[in-house]
Amino acid sequence: MRFKGHALAGAMALTVFGALPALAVTEVKIWHMEQPPHRVQRVQELIDAFNAANPDIKVSQEPQSWGEVYAKVPASIAAGNQPDILFAIPDFTTVIRKVDKLESVADFVKELDAKHHFIPATVEPYSYDGGVWAVPLYNMSLNYWYHKKAFADAGIEAPKTWTEWKSAAEKLSKDGVFGVGLPANKQLYTDQTTYAVMVNNGASELFNADGTLRFDNPKTVESYAFYKDLYKYSSPDAANWTWGEAEACFASENCASILQFTVISTYDQQGGGDPSQLGIAAVPHADDQKDSATIAYSNAAIILAKDAAKRDAAKKFIAYLLEPETYGKFLTMEPGLFLPVTADGAKSASFWSDPLVVKYKPQVEQMIANSANGKLFGFTDGRVFPAIGPISAQNILAETLQKVVVNGEDPAAAVKAGQAAMEAATK
Amino acid sequence: MKRGLPGTLVLVLSLAVLAALVLLPMWLVGSSSFKLPREIISRFPTFFPHSFTLQHYQKLLGTSAFPTYFVNSTLVAACSAFVTVVLATLAGYAFFRLEFRGRDFLYRLIMVAYAFPSIVILIPIYLMFAKVGLIDTDLALVVVNVTFALPFSIWMMRTFFASLPRELEEAAAIDGASRLATALYILVPLLRPGIAAIAIFAFVSSWTEYLFASVLIISDAKRTLPVGLSGIIGQYQIDWGLLLAGASLSILPVVIFFGFVGRWFVAGLTEGAVK
Repeated sequence: MRFKGHALAGAMALTVFGALPALAVTEVKIWHMEQPPHRVQRVQELIDAFNAANPDIKVSQEPQSWGEVYAKVPASIAAGNQPDILFAIPDFTTVIRKVDKLESVADFVKELDAKHHFIPATVEPYSYDGGVWAVPLYNMSLNYWYHKKAFADAGIEAPKTWTEWKSAAEKLSKDGVFGVGLPANKQLYTDQTTYAVMVNNGASELFNADGTLRFDNPKTVESYAFYKDLYKYSSPDAANWTWGEAEACFASENCASILQFTVISTYDQQGGGDPSQLGIAAVPHADDQKDSATIAYSNAAIILAKDAAKRDAAKKFIAYLLEPETYGKFLTMEPGLFLPVTADGAKSASFWSDPLVVKYKPQVEQMIANSANGKLFGFTDGRVFPAIGPISAQNILAETLQKVVVNGEDPAAAVKAGQAAMEAATK
Repeated sequence: MKRGLPGTLVLVLSLAVLAALVLLPMWLVGSSSFKLPREIISRFPTFFPHSFTLQHYQKLLGTSAFPTYFVNSTLVAACSAFVTVVLATLAGYAFFRLEFRGRDFLYRLIMVAYAFPSIVILIPIYLMFAKVGLIDTDLALVVVNVTFALPFSIWMMRTFFASLPRELEEAAAIDGASRLATALYILVPLLRPGIAAIAIFAFVSSWTEYLFASVLIISDAKRTLPVGLSGIIGQYQIDWGLLLAGASLSILPVVIFFGFVGRWFVAGLTEGAVK
C-alpha cells in the first residue's frame, strides 16, 4: 500500500514536472507577406535571436502572399487556425476588423510611442472607432526616380511641377527611351501611381467628412486627364505592368524616370549601380499646388491572438523588433524599401550602417523626407473611412485609369463611372 | 497521295511557325537564365547569351526553399496522378462495363464538378478541410487535385473502354479468369494509352495548380512550386534571374515524365478523338 502511494506520488510528480517545460513555452505564429528568400532569412535571424533570449516564447514565421492573403486570413479566422501576429496595411486592417473582433492595442502603442516616438502619420491609419488596431512597423512611400545622366544630357532638371514633368517626359522620349514609366494595369501599383498624381492636385480625399464619396470632382478629373497626357510617353506594354516591370524598365535605362517606392536594390544589382547617377525627387505637383505629396503605406502588425499569454508574447516580440539595435536590421531586410516609423529608428546605427544604405545614403534620406508628406486613400487628414477596404481590394482607382488611358474614355465620364463603382462596392 | 512543292513548303512553313511559337519562349527563358542580370533586362534583348553565369541557379538552390518546393510538388503531383489513374480506371470499368440503375445519369453528373469556378468553392473547401484537420497537409492538395482531374479522366476512359471488344472478357471468363484477373491481366495492358494520357493530364494539372495550393497550405515547408516560386520572385522587386532559373527547372519533371509516357499519351489522345 505504501509502495503504491509512493508510486502514485512519483507518477503525479513526473506528470506535473514533465509537463512544465511544455506548458511554459508560449508559441507565437506570425504571418507576413515578405516572401523573397532574403527577407524571410532576415526575419528568421531576428526570430532566432529573440527565441534564444526568451526561452519561454517560441516565435515562428509563415510567409504568405499578398495575392491570396485577403481570402486566406478570413478563412483561417473562421476555421480557428489564424496566426497570432499578422502583418497588414491600413485597408487590409479594415477587412480584418470586419471578420474578427480585434482588441485595441492603444495602450501598447502608447507605451511604445513613449519609448520610440512614432511618426504620427504612421499610427493615424490604424486609429479609429475608439481604438488603435495595429502597431506600425515600417513605412513605404512612392518617389520620383530618374537617371541623372539622361536629364543632364537633355539639359533639364528633375521636374517639380506638372508642366515641367510633361515637358521633361516629352524631351526625354527619344531613341527608344521612354521619358516616364507609368503603369495602367488594373492592379495595386496603378492604384498607387494614380493616387500619387491625385494627391498632388488636391484630390487626396475620396470621401466627404460624412463618409459619402467625393471621388467624382473636377480635381480628380484633372488628375486623370494629366495622367493620360503623361502616359503617352510611357512604354507601350505599361498597361500590363506591375512594380517589377517598371523597375526593369528603369534599371535597363529604357525608362528615364519612374514612380516607384524604391529602385535601389534593382538598380544596384541589375542596373548601373552608380549612386551618383541615381536621382530621386518628390512626385511633381500640379502648377497651382505649393508642395509635393505622395502615397505612403504604413505597414503594421495586427495581434490576432486572443489568449492573454500569447498576446503578451506577441507584444514582447513586436517591442523587440522596434528596439533601435534590432529595428535597423529588420528594416534593411530590403534596404531602401522599408522606412522607419519611429524617431529613434530613423537614427538607429543598425539602419544606417547597412552597406546598401551607406552606399545610397542621400537617396534614402530623400525617401524619408518625401515620406513625411505621405497620404493614403481612405486614411487622410486624421480621418479613416473603413469603406475604403472594398474600393482598394477591387482596384477601382486603377480600373478608372484603364478606362481613360487604354479605352480612351473621357476622364469626366470615367471618373463618374468610377464613383458609381465605388458606391456599389461599399454598399 | 503525293504532295507538290507548294504543299510541302506550306507544311514546312507551318511546322516552323508552330515550332517557333512553342520553342521560342522556352529558349528565351532557358537561355536567359544563364545571362548576367544586366543582360537579362537589357534594352536590346539578346537571342544568344553574351554572358554566362550560374549565379541564378546557385542562389535558387542555395538560398531559397526551391528544393523543398520541388520535392513537395513532385510528391503531390505523383500521388494525385496515381490516385486519379486508379480511380478513373475503376470508375471507367464500372460505368462502361457494368449495368446498374442510374448509370447514365451518374456519368453525366460527375461532369458537374467543372460547372463551378474554383474560386467559388475555395473558402467552403478551406472550412471543410479545417474541420477534418487537412489544412496545411499534402493530402489536402491530393484530394483537391484528384477531385478536379477525375471527372475528365473518367470521361476519357469511356473511349478506351469502348475500343476494347467485350469478347475478350468473355473469352477470359470462359478460361476461368475472375473479374479481377480479367481486369488486371487483360484490360489494364490494353488500356495503357488511356492510362498514360490520364496520368499525364493529372500530373500536369497538379504540377501547375496554384489557387488551392496557395490557400490550403500555410507553412513554407509544405508549399508547392507554383506558390513557392511566386513568393521567391518578390512583389515590389522582381529578381528576374531567379525567376527564369526557377521557371527553367520547374518544367523539367513535366518534360521527363512526358518523355517516358508521351508516346502513349499521343496514342491515347488520337484514340479518343476517332472513337
